[in-house]
Amino acid sequence: MAIALFLSVLLIAACGLIYELIAGTLASYLLGDSILQFSTVIGAYLFAMGVGSWLSRFIGKGLVQRFITIELLVGLVGGFSSSILFLAFAYTQAFRFVLYLLVIIVGILVGLEIPLLMRILKDRFQFRDLVAHVLTFDYLGALGASLLFPLVLVPKLGLVRGALLFGIVNAAVALWSTWLFREQLPRHQGLRVLCALVLLALGGGMFSADYVMAAADENLYSDEIILSRQTRYQRIVLTRWKDDIRLFLSSHLQFSSRDEYRYHEGLVHPVLAALPTARRVLVLGGGDGLAAREILKYPHIEQVTLVDLDPEMTSLFSTHGYLKQLNAGSLTNPRMRVINADAFVWLEQSRDLFDAVIIDFPDPTNFSLGKLYTTAFYRLLGHHLSQSGFFVVQSTSPLFARQSFWCIVETLKAAQFQTFPYHVYVPSFGEWGFVIAGRQPWHPPVTLPAGLRYLTVSNLPTLFDFPLDMTAVTAEPNRLNDQALVRYYEEDWKKLTH
Amino acid sequence: MRRREILGAPLLQLSRKARPPIAGGYVMDGFALGHRLRDGGRFEPARQTTKVETVIAGGGMAGLSAAWWLLKKGYGDFVLLEMEPEAGGNSRFGQNEVSAYPWGAHYVPVPNRKSPLVRELFEEVGLIENGELNERHLCHSPQERLFLHGRWQYGLEPEVGLSRQGREQFARFEEMVAGRHATGKWTIPHALGEVDGKLEGQGFGAWLKENGFDAPELLWYLDYSTRDDYGSSITDTSAWAGLHYFAARDHDEKGPFCWPEGNGWLVRRLRERAAAKIRTGAVVYRVERRGAGWRVRSAAGDYEAKRVIWAAPSFLASRLVEGAPPALGFSYSPWVTANVTLERMPKMAASAELAWDNVIYGSPSLGYVVATHQSLRTHQEKSVWTWYYAMAEKTPAEARKLLLSASWEYWRDRVIEDLSRPHPDIAECVSRIDVFRNGHAMVRPTPGLLGGEGRRTLLRGLPGLYFANSDLSGISIFEEAQYRGVEAARRVLS
Ligand SMILES: Cc1cc2nc3c(=O)[nH]c(=O)nc-3n(C[C@H](O)[C@H](O)[C@H](O)COP(=O)(O)OP(=O)(O)OC[C@H]3O[C@@H](n4cnc5c(N)ncnc54)[C@H](O)[C@@H]3O)c2cc1C
Repeated sequence: MAIALFLSVLLIAACGLIYELIAGTLASYLLGDSILQFSTVIGAYLFAMGVGSWLSRFIGKGLVQRFITIELLVGLVGGFSSSILFLAFAYTQAFRFVLYLLVIIVGILVGLEIPLLMRILKDRFQFRDLVAHVLTFDYLGALGASLLFPLVLVPKLGLVRGALLFGIVNAAVALWSTWLFREQLPRHQGLRVLCALVLLALGGGMFSADYVMAAADENLYSDEIILSRQTRYQRIVLTRWKDDIRLFLSSHLQFSSRDEYRYHEGLVHPVLAALPTARRVLVLGGGDGLAAREILKYPHIEQVTLVDLDPEMTSLFSTHGYLKQLNAGSLTNPRMRVINADAFVWLEQSRDLFDAVIIDFPDPTNFSLGKLYTTAFYRLLGHHLSQSGFFVVQSTSPLFARQSFWCIVETLKAAQFQTFPYHVYVPSFGEWGFVIAGRQPWHPPVTLPAGLRYLTVSNLPTLFDFPLDMTAVTAEPNRLNDQALVRYYEEDWKKLTH
Repeated sequence: MRRREILGAPLLQLSRKARPPIAGGYVMDGFALGHRLRDGGRFEPARQTTKVETVIAGGGMAGLSAAWWLLKKGYGDFVLLEMEPEAGGNSRFGQNEVSAYPWGAHYVPVPNRKSPLVRELFEEVGLIENGELNERHLCHSPQERLFLHGRWQYGLEPEVGLSRQGREQFARFEEMVAGRHATGKWTIPHALGEVDGKLEGQGFGAWLKENGFDAPELLWYLDYSTRDDYGSSITDTSAWAGLHYFAARDHDEKGPFCWPEGNGWLVRRLRERAAAKIRTGAVVYRVERRGAGWRVRSAAGDYEAKRVIWAAPSFLASRLVEGAPPALGFSYSPWVTANVTLERMPKMAASAELAWDNVIYGSPSLGYVVATHQSLRTHQEKSVWTWYYAMAEKTPAEARKLLLSASWEYWRDRVIEDLSRPHPDIAECVSRIDVFRNGHAMVRPTPGLLGGEGRRTLLRGLPGLYFANSDLSGISIFEEAQYRGVEAARRVLS
């Protein structure tokens, strides 16, 4: 009997600590700054427990009944606390308010528990033993909970189910108490029914935890981050808003799933459709596999070599369900050869020759990236291009970064190539520019692969016409020892944001 | 383990997280050999004597350039004797698992239109192709930056917080320099032009004062320049030399040429060409007259030669070469270079990206040069930085005393302290600091050196012996070393 009583003390203590840990963890998980969140949650919780202890003096009669009701309440509020918090974060502006409200309610209720229990037991034990035993089991319970929480609860059950499980423990203690203290309980039948109802609710919660999480997720991440990964080279972030998935690399937008077909059709087909005998294609950058998807539409292309710096990028786009669907599994296609290397260095060491090269590097935002747009780079590339081949360079926006765009054209000319600049309207980017370069004149293709969504044989040549606000401006070529492009790029975008 | 230690162990672990220790030490320490030569120390007499028409003593840029010229002209009857395990002198380099790196000379400016020898060599080794400079070997953007008022700016001329008066003085100085350049008398090598005797006899500091230049930023910038080029402060440098650096260059195209191993890149190519003629570990300890010719005694054997090109520093000749004049008026600046290996890059400021040459305003050091700068990679995790320090604020003799007495730890701490200003987390990034101390690194163009008697006698040479070290030019740069070497070779051929 005594053991059973103290065991319930232990369980109650464990539950109390678990709710506190859940609140702290969730707050730091959702709001960040874990030091602040944990400190304030623990502080508020301990303070509320003090309030609860103080309030216990106002409870006079029917101690056992009150105790059981409080247990049920703790179980209910604590058990649903993390579900409520997730939903509050996803659907309301008042996450902090809900957080501290819950912490204070649970804290007050837990603060009531032990004083009441001590008073219930005061006639069964010597006061000296009572205090010693109750507090011992209280602290033991805390120890157990603090170990269980990080080692089992969070990894195995998750925060939502973990909280519900301990709610059930609370309710079970309540139910058990109706037997333990049955002599002191005049009408225990009604209480047992109440216990059963609470248990049922919590159990139901356990079952529907997935729905709760899904509902919360849906809103939590609408236009929010669905994937964020810091690799050795960059920060990869994927966001979603309704059916629009966007990829950001180190905070620069790479594509929006709604209109990326415009960009990638525009990047690939003007060159490839004009080279009906091309066999081998090189893609530099483009680890998302979207350019490759377009290239693979040509059955006569035997091999596509894709060189991208970041292995995490290419592996993400080879394995992630949605992304694989977006690039039509291009990266795992048997005609693909994926190489993770720094493009300039790779070109220097490689001896391969290609009929077409698709260059899809990030914009020249710094001197390191600017190297990939220099005369030296294009000259080297020329050594890997077959005599009748072409390459195309994504060349930032001729509207927003006009001088940068024409600087790339100048650079290609300085490297002894003929150039054929064009532009495509991509709603999420605005007007976007590309330059085809080669050793002989490029002519618009007379056929295009089936299934395109943007390009037609008749609209393709019109892309090469530049409206007045995008026509050529003078610019210095971009050289390794004098990277004019990085300067222009900074000036162009500065103009735009001021 | 006693109980107290067991109890103490966890407490010890509470102390501050230890940094990984920085490895390194002194490298290529030449002090012992240098002093032995100076003090007329004994060397093993040679077992064999070889007859050869010409001996080149010293395999720095000057000696290697003499060899290059002789071979180009089809003249093969010579040896080059170099005391170090490898030729290169002040243009030597090292290499570790991260990068090759320089120990001294690290760049050559874009050659002037009227620097024929430099152009000839550069065409031969592919630095100039069809009249065009090879972009790969030109220093990539960004070339230089300066740490000033707690932030980096591009370029070495202070711009941040410069007063109007400072701005005007920079502009006026540039104007004066441009005017001098336009005369065509300021050339590289300077022997092709004319040296203004009045300017050469005067201190640069005094000249600046006389011309009303007193803006602290300009004076810092010019003092930095003379320390960087000559190892001497503006007060110890002649006004001619101080101006020469600015007035003698064409500045047509953005340079300079630079390489991971610094001018070692050129050394490699010159060494390849003369490989069969070079004897290393061959210190020349005595050169005596032998009839109409010379007997050159070295650790690699004795040589009987008709002619000698003395490409080792000129001040050594009066001790080692029979009948050689003392190098009157010649003084040499001591230098310390440290190659700092970084396991990771320190956190970079947003204001300016890491440049090739990175200078810290107000520091006694010359900042650091990044050996991996010319890499074509877009991502670098490790690097080697070469930290330069010309000990210009002390007299050379005092500085040499410090060089001799200071431990490697002293330099390690100075390097870290200096780099910590712009890079507070540098100590956590560095795995190794190798230090090279060089007591007589380069000649100082002190006022009056060029017009002085000491230099004039050396220029004349001795019968069949020609002096060729770059110190004869009074300024220690690649172009002068090459010119002196080739000039001596021409005298051999004539
Ligand atoms: C730290 C530092 C940085 C520099 N940076 C640059 C730079 O960036 N650009 C530039 O153009 N110049 C630079 N210089 C100048 C450099 O000195 C010259 O470029 C050039 O390398 C000098 O060549 P030299 O052959 O005249 O002299 P040294 O390089 O001094 O050559 C003399 C050679 O003679 C050998 N020797 C000496 N005594 C004997 C003996 N008894 N027997 C046999 N051999 C002997 C030496 O070992 C050495 O190899 C720098 C110099 C230093 C010290």
